[in-house]
Amino acid sequence: MASGVQRGAITFTGHRLGLGAILLRGYLLMVPTIGLYRFWLTTWKRRYYWFNTTLDGDALEYSGEARQLLLGFLMALAVFLPLYAVFFVLSTQSRETVIIGYGAVALLIWFLYGYAAYRARDFRLSRTLWRGIRFDQTGNAWGYALRRFLWSALNLATLGLAYPFMAGNLWAYRYRHSWYGDRPFAFAGSWKNLAVPYYLCWLVGAGLIVTLLVVAAQSGLYQSIEAVGAAGWTKMILLAGGIGVLVTFYRSIEMTRMFSAIRLGAAALVVHVRFPALLGIYVFFGAALLAAYILLAVGGLVVLGAVAGGAVEGHNINIAALLVVMQSSTLALLAIISGYLLLFGAFAFVSELFLGYGYWRMLAKSARITGLEALGDIRSRPEDKALAGEGLADALNVGGY
Amino acid sequence: MIIPARYYDGQLSGTHEVFLAHDGAGAAQAIIVQDASSREIIARWPVAAVKTIPARKGELRLRASGVADGARIVVTGPDHIARIRAGLPQLADHERQSRGEQVRLLGLATLALAAVIAAYIFGVPLLAGRIVQLVPPGWEEAIGDTVATQMEASLAAEGGLPLCDPDPQSLANTAIARFGNAAMEGSGSPFTPDIRIVRSDIPNAFALPGGRIYFHSALLNAARAPDEFAGVLAHEIGHVVHRDGMEQLISTAGTGALIGFILGDLTGLSVAAGLGAAIIDTRFSRDSERQADLYAVEVARRLDFNPAALAVLLGRVDQESAFSRALALLSTHPLTQDRKVALDALSRDRPAGLEPPFTADEWSAIRHMCGPRTSR
Repeated sequence: MASGVQRGAITFTGHRLGLGAILLRGYLLMVPTIGLYRFWLTTWKRRYYWFNTTLDGDALEYSGEARQLLLGFLMALAVFLPLYAVFFVLSTQSRETVIIGYGAVALLIWFLYGYAAYRARDFRLSRTLWRGIRFDQTGNAWGYALRRFLWSALNLATLGLAYPFMAGNLWAYRYRHSWYGDRPFAFAGSWKNLAVPYYLCWLVGAGLIVTLLVVAAQSGLYQSIEAVGAAGWTKMILLAGGIGVLVTFYRSIEMTRMFSAIRLGAAALVVHVRFPALLGIYVFFGAALLAAYILLAVGGLVVLGAVAGGAVEGHNINIAALLVVMQSSTLALLAIISGYLLLFGAFAFVSELFLGYGYWRMLAKSARITGLEALGDIRSRPEDKALAGEGLADALNVGGY
Repeated sequence: MIIPARYYDGQLSGTHEVFLAHDGAGAAQAIIVQDASSREIIARWPVAAVKTIPARKGELRLRASGVADGARIVVTGPDHIARIRAGLPQLADHERQSRGEQVRLLGLATLALAAVIAAYIFGVPLLAGRIVQLVPPGWEEAIGDTVATQMEASLAAEGGLPLCDPDPQSLANTAIARFGNAAMEGSGSPFTPDIRIVRSDIPNAFALPGGRIYFHSALLNAARAPDEFAGVLAHEIGHVVHRDGMEQLISTAGTGALIGFILGDLTGLSVAAGLGAAIIDTRFSRDSERQADLYAVEVARRLDFNPAALAVLLGRVDQESAFSRALALLSTHPLTQDRKVALDALSRDRPAGLEPPFTADEWSAIRHMCGPRTSR
């Protein structure tokens, strides 16, 4: 074993700047390629995450290729083409039909989302290698989609009370069908791991939500938005923030307990997600997003000042003068398009850099593996070549990594 | 020359600390993988089969064709990597080659997508014109009814679009119906115009698929001469005859599908492309506005009114601002000043001695059918 590395340690050697450079380059290249570069960007991004994550001194390897994702996307179009036809026919129908029809399509998409998520996981696992051995996933994606669909319906019907059972069931399904080489993973957790913290948080959360609704009613939000005073807003924002913190707190417990229930033979994953660390990711994200948008606003004003010289007088924008400049409608159009792309791009960039990266790094840093010695006799299985890209998963934008 | 490395055999999960050595000459050159402690040779990779895999900085990952799928040699440290690369110059060639392949694939896919988008953007309006011919008139009428129901329901909070004069036999309504039928005459259209003068503060007039035309009281009240009213009405009848509403519906559905399924709904670029598609849409609809103007000119060859008056009326209610001129590229209607010039030119040699569209009594009844100018 490599010296200086603790047995079973998981490390992350990436840097935010390195990922930022990949993302920036990717977003720029997306413009001339009408968005197609996103498949290459995804591939590079995954390589960055995988290669910078080492388990017991050996880095993960991502062997997926951009053209596989491109192909999968093309295949997903075949599903969405008829859906768009349905939308068109629906839009010409009566109101009741439209509502029922859109509802049915939404349900279908919710169902397909489960399928897509499972297939995407399969694609990622079967293209992940460690120590020359591939991971893989078996199981039935349609079965998983149905399972998830029915559980989420039950969860909705019980106002969230079924959640621990749903989570336990789906986690177990996913891991019992995951493989490393010729050895299947196992899942030692169940609803029992989640029940106590979940129901406690559920009670506190329900209390917070009811309080929020009462405060909103008292401050007159339902009559008119203007009627709400500063004190009312402060209370409501604090309550909403409290709900967010509570959810984050619960998530840190769920992640800790569920990830720690993953087994591979005698080896076990041990994860300890600290609540402040998880909360910090969201706080950083919010701050970075705010900073990015302030930067964009300032940049936009500077550009406006340069293009529309006279239109910006001190702190005021002279609308009439601005419109004269905008007479050339091509310029106006260009401004709209680039402005939109910048806003959207900034959001995607900051999300990936602070949420995606932060989440991955935190998980890697808070995890280790015990009982690694038992993995030495695991043999390889052939690559799962049947999967062309992530298909629907790409179209539905499933999965962050 | 011996380089320390790590080796995975791709069959059994585990690592081997190894030394790499170079062996043979010419086509028989190979990398020898030697166990670091026992010095036993555990693998022999022909140099020509060795390729790199993208890896993190400071690490070189090698694979080879003809060996186990997951078998890897991992070399760390800049010095060791430099020595391997110096000994295996074809690694760089292969990297260049596969980069070229990726660029070609991306370029080709982009070209193909651009071609599809172009074909789509120019093809959909053309196709919509063809498809609309295949839509049975009965179906179009049913769609028009649905659109009308949806629209009136959405305006229900503001009182909907109530008819100014609900009596179909009134002087004003019979005169309008007569004008509608006369304007439609000889067009071969399967529809009967159903013109509704409705109470609304928004100066507007529009035609739905299937022959229904809404004319808002605010626009009627702004009219100062029967020519203006007749001109706008003839223009809307032109839309009915050309089935523009239906065509627009099909075209919009088509371009919407383009945005969604070609580009993937969730990329920011789709909206940018959508704006582009919107421009094409509006260019298409401005073209149909011009066609409807031409139809009004045709009607004015049979009935005595000046079609250019329609631009006068529209110009009066739509005070064209610098802003609307600036956004002309995005507007569905041609600028009224441009329309007026075109209409004036077209209506110069109208035949003389035609019957006026409305008698003085009828025009007076029409002007007052929405009551005094209560609503602006």
